[in-house]
Amino acid sequence: MDWKSAFTRARRGLREERRLYLVAVSSLSVAFLCLAVALLFMQNLGALGERWGQSNHLSVYLADNASDTDVAQLRVVLEALPEVEQVQSVSSEQARAEFIAQSTMGEELSTLPADVFPASLEIEVASGTPVQRLESLSQRLGSFGSVAEVETYSSFFERLHSLLSAGRGLAMGLALLVSLCVLAVVGNTIRLAVARRTREIEVMKLCGATDSFVRRPFVLEGAFQGSMSAFLALLLLSAAFLVLRERADDMLTALMGMRLLFLSPLAMLGLLFGGALAGAVGSALSLRRYLVV
Amino acid sequence: MASGTDSGAPVVRPFPFFRAGVRTSPDAGTRPILELKGVSKYFQRDTPTLRGVDLTVQRGEFVFVTGASGAGKSTLLSLIYRKHTVDDGHIFFCGKDIARLTSRSIPFLRRNLGVVFQDFKVISHWTVFENVAVALEILAMPRRLVRARVAEALERVGLSGRGGETTENLSGGEQQRVAVARAIVTEPALILADEPTGNLDSHLAIDILTLFEEINETGTTVLFATHDHSLIAKRDHRLVSIEDGRAVEARRGLSSWPGSGLHALVG
Ligand SMILES: Nc1ncnc2c1ncn2[C@@H]1O[C@H](COP(=O)(O)OP(=O)(O)OP(=O)(O)O)[C@@H](O)[C@H]1O
Ligand SMILES: [Mg+2]
Repeated sequence: MDWKSAFTRARRGLREERRLYLVAVSSLSVAFLCLAVALLFMQNLGALGERWGQSNHLSVYLADNASDTDVAQLRVVLEALPEVEQVQSVSSEQARAEFIAQSTMGEELSTLPADVFPASLEIEVASGTPVQRLESLSQRLGSFGSVAEVETYSSFFERLHSLLSAGRGLAMGLALLVSLCVLAVVGNTIRLAVARRTREIEVMKLCGATDSFVRRPFVLEGAFQGSMSAFLALLLLSAAFLVLRERADDMLTALMGMRLLFLSPLAMLGLLFGGALAGAVGSALSLRRYLVV
Repeated sequence: MASGTDSGAPVVRPFPFFRAGVRTSPDAGTRPILELKGVSKYFQRDTPTLRGVDLTVQRGEFVFVTGASGAGKSTLLSLIYRKHTVDDGHIFFCGKDIARLTSRSIPFLRRNLGVVFQDFKVISHWTVFENVAVALEILAMPRRLVRARVAEALERVGLSGRGGETTENLSGGEQQRVAVARAIVTEPALILADEPTGNLDSHLAIDILTLFEEINETGTTVLFATHDHSLIAKRDHRLVSIEDGRAVEARRGLSSWPGSGLHALVG
């Protein structure tokens, strides 16, 4: 197998066909950009999910009639549990003050009476505690007379997880769509390239070139188009990412509780190689149909 | 046979024109380079283009193939370089039947042939060098060797030192020389020329014919298809005419031509 000569001829093909390939690469890079953006979302949602993947926080809202001794007793019981790291009691007034301080509508809310905000025990559990353990803990806490309600925040995480799996499905669908785009666009440009090089192909065949010798440069050109499109998309995305990080990093960090992440090296490599593979396959399929050697 | 090259580059020949594992016949060296036996070709079911062509060409011969337009000269050559497949009969090249080679073996057959056409079939936007070198690149020959061999081939066709020029800027005669250089650069045993002078004026036609004769003098067998009788008349080569789908021996050198006193005087 003479790959060196195939590379040389593919380079010449790329040079001669640069207009055609430029159009293909620029349209494909838009497709890849969509996919890369989706992957970026997934990356960050995934990281969010991992960070907040399960609640290690419980709010135990106390009944209005709970006596101080009941609460103190509850605290002692809670602090004795191995998975509980910290228990903090928040009085009704504290809760009100905190809420008003955090809210932007402080003025209007300041008239709210204190008893709208129940007193609570805020419990930090060790991270890594299984969800079932939390559920059973909250159930047991709920049976205490002094406890009005236990909030495990599980519904929020359920929503996050369903969002994540929906996002995963979307990214998968997009990847499929982009692959089809690459197959179609690369297949088409290769068809045109073959048509423009019929004479070269004829001459090579007459000189005793094997089919694979004739086909290999076209396959390389297809692979190049695919990976080049992915590369261009990554370039655009990283530029946009840097700008976004420059402008809005603080806000996003506050919102998400973590810094915005870029695509992992594995995802980037996957895009590049996937692009190359799809381009090569698109080219090969097109050659099978249009290169009658 | 051509005896290597002046530059001392090793000539890899015969190329394994049947895929690895398939041996050429042991007496290949002594058999005629080309034998056609009862070769028929039907493009249409009831009107055969060739019907039972018998033709034997010895090593080192120069053969004119002639016949009216549409007689089947191009068809005959295309059966040898396997653009088409025979419908009946056998074609032995170096003793091996190539009439029904599998498509995977055809490239290896073609590496042992040089083919030249009326329309040159050069790539106009490539340089002269690239047009000739392509035949060697297919053989995966090292660059250094390719350069030496191409330079030598260009010298043989009278284009030495012009490898860097773009081929479309060359005249018709020069473009045909590029095509001839491409055909001979692999040092094939047999050259098939299908009306190589058809697009050239009569002076250039003689030049190209002379070029093929020079190649023939180094031992390469040449099959030269033409319907240009003025060209045929100028030379004393074996002449095979395709008539009614069969090969007819039209003349076997002036020596065997009754009424020619020339050769009687000499020999
Ligand atoms: N690929 C093909 N399909 C169908 N018919 C063909 C094909 N090639 C040749 N023929 C027919 O075979 C006959 C011989 O054609 P060929 O080209 O061999 O003639 P030729 O002797 O080379 O003529 P010319 O001197 O004009 O080049 C013609 O009648 C032509 O129509
Ligand atoms: Mg013809």
